[in-house]
Amino acid sequence: METNSVREASFIGSSGKDMAQPALTATQKNAVAVPKPAEATASRGGSRMLKRIFSPGVLLPVLAGVLFLGLWEFEFFHKIFDLKKYQLPLPTAIATTMRDNFSMLLSYTGYTLTEAVLGMLVGSAIGFLIALAATAWPRWGSGSLTLVAALNAVPIVALAPIMNLWFGDGIGSRIAIVTATTMAAMAINAYKGMAAIDPLALDLMHSYAAGKPAVFRYLRIQSSLPYVFTALKINATASMIGAIVGEFFFSSKGLGYLLSNSIKVAKMPLGWSCIVLAAIAGVLFYLVVERLEKVFIKWHPSQRK
Amino acid sequence: MKGGSIFVRGRLLPLFVWIFGLLLIWEGTSWMLLHVVETPLAQSKLPYVHEVLSTLWKYSGTLLKEGAATFGNAGVGFLIGAVAGASLAVLMSLSKTIEQLTFPYAIASQMIPILGLAPIIYGIVRDEQTSRIIISGYITFFPVALNMLRGLRSVDPSALELMHSYAAKPWAVYWKLRFPAALPGLFGGLKIAAPLAVTGAILVELMGAQHGIGVIMLRNLYYGSSHTYMFWSTVIVGALLGIVSYWLISLIERLVAPWQPEFRPKGGSR
Repeated sequence: METNSVREASFIGSSGKDMAQPALTATQKNAVAVPKPAEATASRGGSRMLKRIFSPGVLLPVLAGVLFLGLWEFEFFHKIFDLKKYQLPLPTAIATTMRDNFSMLLSYTGYTLTEAVLGMLVGSAIGFLIALAATAWPRWGSGSLTLVAALNAVPIVALAPIMNLWFGDGIGSRIAIVTATTMAAMAINAYKGMAAIDPLALDLMHSYAAGKPAVFRYLRIQSSLPYVFTALKINATASMIGAIVGEFFFSSKGLGYLLSNSIKVAKMPLGWSCIVLAAIAGVLFYLVVERLEKVFIKWHPSQRK
Repeated sequence: MKGGSIFVRGRLLPLFVWIFGLLLIWEGTSWMLLHVVETPLAQSKLPYVHEVLSTLWKYSGTLLKEGAATFGNAGVGFLIGAVAGASLAVLMSLSKTIEQLTFPYAIASQMIPILGLAPIIYGIVRDEQTSRIIISGYITFFPVALNMLRGLRSVDPSALELMHSYAAKPWAVYWKLRFPAALPGLFGGLKIAAPLAVTGAILVELMGAQHGIGVIMLRNLYYGSSHTYMFWSTVIVGALLGIVSYWLISLIERLVAPWQPEFRPKGGSR
């Protein structure tokens, strides 16, 4: 749902705060009327779908988008900002270029997505382990959390050349970049989730004489899952950015490489088609993670209808 | 007093041990790579910490100047983006139509790899200063708008009813109730956006600019192994810029909105 992304945005920056968030969102979801995308409603009945499509929440943005594309196509922006067509190509030119180079663009998108997904899986796994360690040994573990949060503020572009030196210019260096950029969000969020357990539940575990592993196994990991998925959704976007930015400088394949290269040789339509595909891939990746969230944490209040 | 000092020791000591431990491992690994394993380009892969630090010290003037250029441009873009984002959030909270118009695009822009736009904008503008500012502003815009809107909405309904019963004017409701309530959300957005704005500015510099930390980073990378310490210094400065920007926003947050639960000495929920 849309509200998730609003809520998650605040999670990235605030390290070690927002304990009460998931409880809040359930009420928020009812309070904020959110326009839904048309494809989300496709499974509903026909008449309700029509009503939804013609509701202002869907109609307005679609009209605005069409108007925007129309003004662009008829060179309105070119006149205002005094641009030439080789600086800002027309939508039809971009569409033609996309059709002409379809197979190459598709394989490059696949390559970039592979980097993003693999890097995100590795990074999220490491981040989760860091959170586990920080929860299990709070005195010494929380220091590692601070260091990881500092890593989060490091610009990706500074990492790219170093990872290139370490892992060569193959797929490995981009996976490493994505790993480094996705680790922090997962570590911070998972730590928050493991700390945000019900004290009564912890007391119950103690009264059962449950050891530390059992508390983790039955309580902490369960309660961290909503936070873990929030982090995964943040990471889905961050990993695409990391992969593309990593490809800008040292790569011979992938969307980022093609993008920066076609700008250098002034093939603007090709560069724009890379952006369009990267955007589509990013949205798809995000939606897949969101779907997984629905499957895995059905029981959580934020997922109830 | 005593409790405070224990708190400080309990939190800071492990952190210092971590930092020094990592630096020691770094130094040791660097020595291993150079003398034991004898990998090619060992110093480029992991240079000695003390060499990097001395380079950092020796060229601190240049690094500071170029870093300030990057930071200044990112800062201007960041401010413009933040103001624009906050205004959009206020407009969205005032008008249902504007919200319905822009909300889906704001959400979609969160899912799109925005930094990928950097070369395109540089290609259109062809001016390093302007494109750095545009990128930083654009990156800042949406996180700030979304988080600010969430904050404006988070007003306690009974407080709103109280304002109504006082017959408060709309601007009074905004000034006295909604803006203070939106501050935590606003700073949440700003904290996400600040390091990203620095990243965007450095990225534009790597695309080919004249000034900024990214320019000397790229130059020293291409000069090869003789400039490896300088290259690592620029990387460290770039990282510090990102961390400083985050830290600066957190500091301002503490000054402007000090009432939030997480700033209380014991923490709100524990």
